[in-house]
Amino acid sequence: MAAGYVIVGWNRFKRAYDGVLLAGLAAFLAAHAGAGILLAPAGQHPSEVQLLIRASGAAAFSLLTIILCIGPLARLTPRVLPVLYNRRHLGVACFAAALVHGGLVVLWYHGFSEVNAFVSLLISNPRYGSFGGFPFESLGALALLILFVMAATSHDFWNHVLGPRLWKWIHMSVYAAYGLLVGHVMLGAVQGEKGLAQAALAGGSALLVAGLHIVAGQLERRRDRAVDGPPEGEGWLDAGPAEAIPDGRAVILVPPMGERIAVFRDGAKVYAVANACRHQGGPLGEGRILDGCIVCPWHGFQYRPEDGCSPPPFTEKIPTYRTRITGGWVFVEPSPQPPGTPIAPSIAGEAG
Amino acid sequence: MTRGQRRVHALVWPLLALVLAGVVLSALSERARVAAAAAAVLEAA
Repeated sequence: MAAGYVIVGWNRFKRAYDGVLLAGLAAFLAAHAGAGILLAPAGQHPSEVQLLIRASGAAAFSLLTIILCIGPLARLTPRVLPVLYNRRHLGVACFAAALVHGGLVVLWYHGFSEVNAFVSLLISNPRYGSFGGFPFESLGALALLILFVMAATSHDFWNHVLGPRLWKWIHMSVYAAYGLLVGHVMLGAVQGEKGLAQAALAGGSALLVAGLHIVAGQLERRRDRAVDGPPEGEGWLDAGPAEAIPDGRAVILVPPMGERIAVFRDGAKVYAVANACRHQGGPLGEGRILDGCIVCPWHGFQYRPEDGCSPPPFTEKIPTYRTRITGGWVFVEPSPQPPGTPIAPSIAGEAG
Repeated sequence: MTRGQRRVHALVWPLLALVLAGVVLSALSERARVAAAAAAVLEAA
């Protein structure tokens, strides 16, 4: 949250997360290199550098596959949310593995070229018009560039400077990076291998990632189309009976226009705020009220339900909505108030 | 996510899935074609 920035706001969970991540990455690299040695044909053992090139490339592709599965899985089951919390560290690890892979390729295969090694990478195979012989290295280089931009802007500082909306759009370029990497693997490593293991892994990964996104995307679209209503009275949205909202939790409304609304109940008080967190658009209505603040289920950003402001010293604000209770039924005005506008809560149980 | 971002997700992924499937199948077909051509050359030799 925006109140002075440190490189990493370490806590116990982040340390454990990164410990598991680094240990897993090291084990993956060692296992991949070991398999490379054991499975190499007799007399054709690859060099240590070649083993590291292959292992780091496989690690980067696997990490990006995992990263891309986390988002849709978190929409399908909240059990994945703890992994989502620190996903950007996975992203930086993915970029680091890809950088090792790309750096070693440039040094090992192009370092002694007569032209600049990076230029050599792009022009040594000029068959850009061919499919089978396409210079797959250029696809990997472009994906690495995208991963660099994402890793460099992954910190909350950049989220704050660029604004959550632009930041999110920039980071959605990861889908293009993944497409480029699938092409890089299928036109590179897969063309040169004898068996079909890499083809099956890369193709299966792409199928899994695309399938999860399609399923989660369709569920969200269906929810967006099922507008809550019909609008009652002056066009206010029907949020159902106050007692049906679990204490400290919310129901999420979909207005005909505009963004989703989270309607929280805290004891007898009922509040309505925008459902999208200012940080990365997390679904606040799937969070809960703790110590008087709404807590985003993605990264723990907090907002006071009565005015949509983060508690001091933080400065984030979200829109609030007017509510009223009639006969125990909660209604919400669909037009938002400016972010940070105080709204008195409706009280459940009072005569309406 | 905003409504617009959700809409983009729902539109982009089916298209991306088609592109990925196309790349994977074309790459496998190219691989099989090259392997068949190499086998034919070996046989002829």
